[in-house]
Amino acid sequence: MNREQYLQQLWNLLSPVPERTRKEWMYDYEEHFRLAAEHGRLEEEAASELGDPKLAAKELLLGYRVAEAESKGGSLPSVSRAVFAAVGIGFFNLVFVLGPYIGLLGVLFGFWAASAALVLSVVPVLYEGWFGDALTGPQAISAAMVLLSLGLLAGAGTYKLTRGFMRLTLKYLQLNTRVMKGRKS
Amino acid sequence: MNVQFKKGVLDLCVLALAAWEDRYGYELAVAMSAKFEVAVGSVYPLLNRLTQEGYFTTYLRESTEGPPRKYYKLTPQGHSHLMSLISEWRSFSIAVDELIKEGVER
Repeated sequence: MNREQYLQQLWNLLSPVPERTRKEWMYDYEEHFRLAAEHGRLEEEAASELGDPKLAAKELLLGYRVAEAESKGGSLPSVSRAVFAAVGIGFFNLVFVLGPYIGLLGVLFGFWAASAALVLSVVPVLYEGWFGDALTGPQAISAAMVLLSLGLLAGAGTYKLTRGFMRLTLKYLQLNTRVMKGRKS
Repeated sequence: MNVQFKKGVLDLCVLALAAWEDRYGYELAVAMSAKFEVAVGSVYPLLNRLTQEGYFTTYLRESTEGPPRKYYKLTPQGHSHLMSLISEWRSFSIAVDELIKEGVER
């Protein structure tokens, strides 16, 4: 691979990143080729010591995703993108990280659904109190209030749980991005 | 080299290289990959991350031989991080040495 090919490939691989950041990153690699040439090295040599552009791109992207997730305060989409970037780089085993992550997201989703169901159940209960015979009006109102408060409590709890889970995931990713897997060919 | 071993140690080394003078990326990349089994191309992401974490700042400086070079300068925060990494490393390596002496070189 020569200079042109290496830089072009890296540029394409970094396409998910805004152009400004991408140019900043590319600068290091462009400069590397320039200085390698000043030290009398061939373009091909410089490219091969740089290693696989795919690996460099993945490492750059992972750092970017983790920082992005941090600055967004650990929102679910940003943390998920960072998790996928980490799995993509092969830091983590697909089964051991992605599996549990998706599983726990499923559990959280279940909690959210249960909270929503509690809140929404207020509607049929009130309807029953108004038009049906199973509940009297006051009974329906107090039952609805109990259901509503349970739903809101469950929702608040789930919200806390979700935030905590996102923060922990992010911490775990930050710890693990300290490891570099790059090897000389 | 064991991957777990490299954890943190690469941060320590690249910060240490810039302790007394600012370095440009190429110098750091070549020096690191000469000592460790690290692709040169992986050193730049490392530098990038350390810059993001506030341990390095970068600036461009004209060189006699051509276009300006990007220099990495240790920040005060980077310096204190380096010092704490060094003391961690020292106690770690002393402990390992002691156990090797006790177990192997008696």
